[in-house]
Amino acid sequence: MKETINRLRSQGAVLIEAADTPALVEAARVSLLGRKGEITSLLRGLKDVDPQDRPALGADLNLLKTELAALLDERSSALAVGQGSSSGVELDLSLPGKPPVGTGTTHPLLSVMESVCDIFYGMGFTRSDGPEVELDYYNFTALNFPDDHPARDIQDTFYINDQVCLRTQTSPVQVRTMERTEPPLASIFPGRVYRNENADASHSSEFFQIEGLVVDKAISMADLKDTVDTFVRLFFGAAEPTRFRPHFFPFTEPSVEVDMQCVACRGAGCGICGQTGWLEIMGAGMVHPNVFKAVGYPDDAYTGFAFGMGIDRIAMLKYGIGDIRLLYENDLRFLNQFRGVL
Amino acid sequence: MKISLDWMKELASWDDEPEVLASKLTAAGLNVEAIEHFEQTYPGVVIAKVVHRQQHPNADRLSLCRVDAGTGQEVQVVCGAPNVREGLTVLFAQVGAILPGDFKLKKTKIRGIESLGMICSASELQLTSDSEGIMELDTDLPPGTPADELYGFKDVVLDIEVTPNRPDWLNHLGVAREIAALYGTKVSQPRCWSSQQSTESLGLKIQVEDFEDCPRYTAFVAKGVEIGQSPLWMQNRLRAVGSRPINNVVDITNYVMLEMGQPMHAFDQDRLSGDTIFIRRSEAGQKIVTLDDKEHELDGENLLVCDQDGPIALAGVMGLANSEVTEATSNIVLESAFFAPRLVRKTSRALGLISESSYRFERGTDWGMVEKAAHRALYLMQEYTGARIISDWADRGDPDRKSNEPVPLRTWQVNRVLGTELSTEDVAQFLQNLGLKVQPMGNPDAINASAVNMMVEIPTFRRDIFLEIDLIEEVARCHGFERLAAGKGFKRPAGHIRRRTDEVQSRVRTWFADCGYNELVTSTFLSPGDLEKLELPEGDVRLQTLSVINPHHGGNTQLRTSLLPSMLEVARRNLNAGSIVPVRFFQFNRTFWPGGKAATDTKHDAEKLLPQEPFFLQFAIAGLDSLGLDGVPDDLLEIKGVLNSLSEILRVDLKPEAGNSELFLASGQQWRILDRQGKVVGSAGRVSSPVLKNFDLDVPVTVAEINLDEIDLTPQNVEYQPFARFPGVTRDLSLLVPSSVTYQEIEEVVREGGGVLLVGVELFDVYRGKGIPEGVGAYGIRLKFRSDKGNLKGKAVDKAISRILKDLTDRLQIEPRSLD
Repeated sequence: MKETINRLRSQGAVLIEAADTPALVEAARVSLLGRKGEITSLLRGLKDVDPQDRPALGADLNLLKTELAALLDERSSALAVGQGSSSGVELDLSLPGKPPVGTGTTHPLLSVMESVCDIFYGMGFTRSDGPEVELDYYNFTALNFPDDHPARDIQDTFYINDQVCLRTQTSPVQVRTMERTEPPLASIFPGRVYRNENADASHSSEFFQIEGLVVDKAISMADLKDTVDTFVRLFFGAAEPTRFRPHFFPFTEPSVEVDMQCVACRGAGCGICGQTGWLEIMGAGMVHPNVFKAVGYPDDAYTGFAFGMGIDRIAMLKYGIGDIRLLYENDLRFLNQFRGVL
Repeated sequence: MKISLDWMKELASWDDEPEVLASKLTAAGLNVEAIEHFEQTYPGVVIAKVVHRQQHPNADRLSLCRVDAGTGQEVQVVCGAPNVREGLTVLFAQVGAILPGDFKLKKTKIRGIESLGMICSASELQLTSDSEGIMELDTDLPPGTPADELYGFKDVVLDIEVTPNRPDWLNHLGVAREIAALYGTKVSQPRCWSSQQSTESLGLKIQVEDFEDCPRYTAFVAKGVEIGQSPLWMQNRLRAVGSRPINNVVDITNYVMLEMGQPMHAFDQDRLSGDTIFIRRSEAGQKIVTLDDKEHELDGENLLVCDQDGPIALAGVMGLANSEVTEATSNIVLESAFFAPRLVRKTSRALGLISESSYRFERGTDWGMVEKAAHRALYLMQEYTGARIISDWADRGDPDRKSNEPVPLRTWQVNRVLGTELSTEDVAQFLQNLGLKVQPMGNPDAINASAVNMMVEIPTFRRDIFLEIDLIEEVARCHGFERLAAGKGFKRPAGHIRRRTDEVQSRVRTWFADCGYNELVTSTFLSPGDLEKLELPEGDVRLQTLSVINPHHGGNTQLRTSLLPSMLEVARRNLNAGSIVPVRFFQFNRTFWPGGKAATDTKHDAEKLLPQEPFFLQFAIAGLDSLGLDGVPDDLLEIKGVLNSLSEILRVDLKPEAGNSELFLASGQQWRILDRQGKVVGSAGRVSSPVLKNFDLDVPVTVAEINLDEIDLTPQNVEYQPFARFPGVTRDLSLLVPSSVTYQEIEEVVREGGGVLLVGVELFDVYRGKGIPEGVGAYGIRLKFRSDKGNLKGKAVDKAISRILKDLTDRLQIEPRSLD
């Protein structure tokens, strides 16, 4: 039997090599490995061999079977390539691919905005929009900015007339939403805002913010912390520690600024975080009772939190963009880098 | 606010490195933005002894000296000071020394004699302005000792971001209170002048026109002042926190302001007329010259400090030149007052004058500091200007002024807002540490909505506390935000899916990107001339714009009424930058059309002042100039194709209807876009050549704009229809079509004639030229037939085809070319 195996090993290879159409390869497969093929009949014959020789012969036979199968596959795929080419010449598969439709990009700023929104949708928030040209009342007065108070200087405002301005923050949508909704409510308000300042690497007179608001009977600062931490974890991927620093915004109290451990240096201090190890990512706080008063909620009935963050800053952090103006130039050499970002 | 730690250590004590102190302050809300190291040093300047002096051989007024500067060798130096003499201990700047002003000392020759350094006067080292000769030191320090041992100053300065609600942090004492609260230490009060009994009269009266404007005004007199430099330590501290030393009197008022927060002003008493100081409003048109020598015209609303002849200061903002302290001043009137924040702010804004004083007054100063700060300044004047303080003083205050009401606090509300479980005792302790006086009320363990657990007295320096929530913020700061437990998770509104408009935008933007279009984010503002460049017809709604009345310097003012200029500009810039054509863009953006919003929300009448903000989708191709089927430009065909696909993926009708509606699009190369009801919701077409030229573009641009606010985005329902599983039959027609006939007409006739069996019509070729008569096109149209009742018989199809061909001939004069 050993001789038969050796003969088959050399003859089989010749047979396969000689097959120059897929049909012939298939015929060779049948005659060698098929149900009535030679290997199969040899395997059946094993039972008649001396039991001492049986394991060695069996192993050799199986090896031969594998070898022949590999040769058959190789031959049939070699023929298949040749088949596609009319001339029988090999195809150059290194040629550049052709996209099915086109290769455009979404804008990274709006993509970041959308993924931020998605995180909050997942947490049960709904979305509302408000006007960009806004009443001074909604942008300031209802948000507990006293008339003629230095707090208004924080934001340099573009005015259309003395009652109408370009909104400096998305917070006025808070007020509009509360005016028409009785709690419980959890909403986000994304959109474009305006500040009257000259553009430089970190300032733009137009930029994007997202604001969040949650109001119910017993919403606490701890709930705010929870929400912020969940967002940071989902958006930045890792459980970056956050810290709350006391701050001041007229429409929240207590107010905080939220810092996240620097994504670049993990808190060690680097150029991106100004050596502090922390990155400021949002302002937040508990809704000020005067805001509840302005929207007509009864005293003491509700508590709530609000937060707001700059989408531009988040996008710049996420993609390592050093100059905010790049986001508004629409240069294709910039945009093309974000292909595939949803 | 810059805080000098050298200064702070007189007021508060702590036992941490500056970095640790800074992070504790930051955590307490005093955000330390930078830690700066301030140094006033004199590298290369040493103590030296004049060993030998002789007359300079070539100059009468110069001396030639040898000094022992501790180097083991005597050094030769030329000196011009009249007081230089043998045996004197002096400050000697060696060659290579760096003197204030970054002046590096070099070896030099003076009147032919080599001079290897300089014996310094006090002014050369900016120690005082006194340049009368070299300094004569009285010290046992050996020659060669660095001058820094005597005069060097090193400080660490914390730059703290102060929010507008905490003006009490705009001085060292206020920050000292926070440090004391953080470290459980006490604040040390600075030394003050104390009035002694005397009969000496001040000779000065005060008259306040309206206590609303100025609730309190005090004046003190210091006699026999010698104007000069302030002491070195004071100058150093002022420099360290960024204030330029001027003279001892001015420096003292600045120093006390930075120390205690009370702005003060010193008048030259001898330049005042009369014996009364008036505090009153200005007259409209009145002109004044402030001490920075600028003239201002007043509006009748500005608060003034006046003498008998007229204004001597813009109250709380700046003094006037006419009463300014000068070198010649010897008697001083010191003003310490409380001016109404609003008025100071108004004057400061109106005149564009922002001073350290106005900055503090407009944020609100400490009522309790008016008198105390003056006493501190008087003490320093007595010590450092040689002044004699008149113990009598003038003081006018509002007799009806009420002190702040105590604020009630419920422990229940503290825990409700913060999500904590603090006890009434914890809460009281936090507030006491901050210097607030707490009066317990009722049972401390009664914690519920109606149980007031304490009344809190608010000190005069806390102008930010009126409400319970203000106290809760203080508790939160002291408790520490890092100690807040995670929330229990608030009850969220039940299930939520995206709004349709958000869904549409999300879907469409990724679809466009996949189709090769690039998303833009463009400015709301138009560039000058943009609207003119669009060549809009007179009366077009888009010519009416809103403008901001206060643009930043060089900034644009008009809010856009069209997205087109922004897109053309982006195309131009990218093409100039060498982008390979064609380029494709899309954007979702708002435009702003004045003329009022439909009053959907009538809560506020002013709502009607707001413009409409229609939300547009725009998409465009620039630089695609190949021709497609029947010679129609490919970009027009693509834009129409995109519209069709968009309509399909959104299941919303967006029908292009050929016809001219926009002047900025080329005539005969544009569509109106209609919705399901036939309402015009947008336009599409090739941008006209004059407009392209106006925007410096030399490639074709085809654009579509859809007003999404005008469209009902509700998708058409999908209802499953059973479909035929029988095979269909395909037939191609080849037709000779006269030029006057449009494809749309052909398709209508074909579909009508084909009846229910015809399930598909596709134009696959149009040929004109050789073999085809002039004025006729050979159209290849593929028809697909299928029946849902059974296999189609060739006969039935033939019947339909001949009906179609007959109709085409009868109605459109179209002849078959041949029948496949």
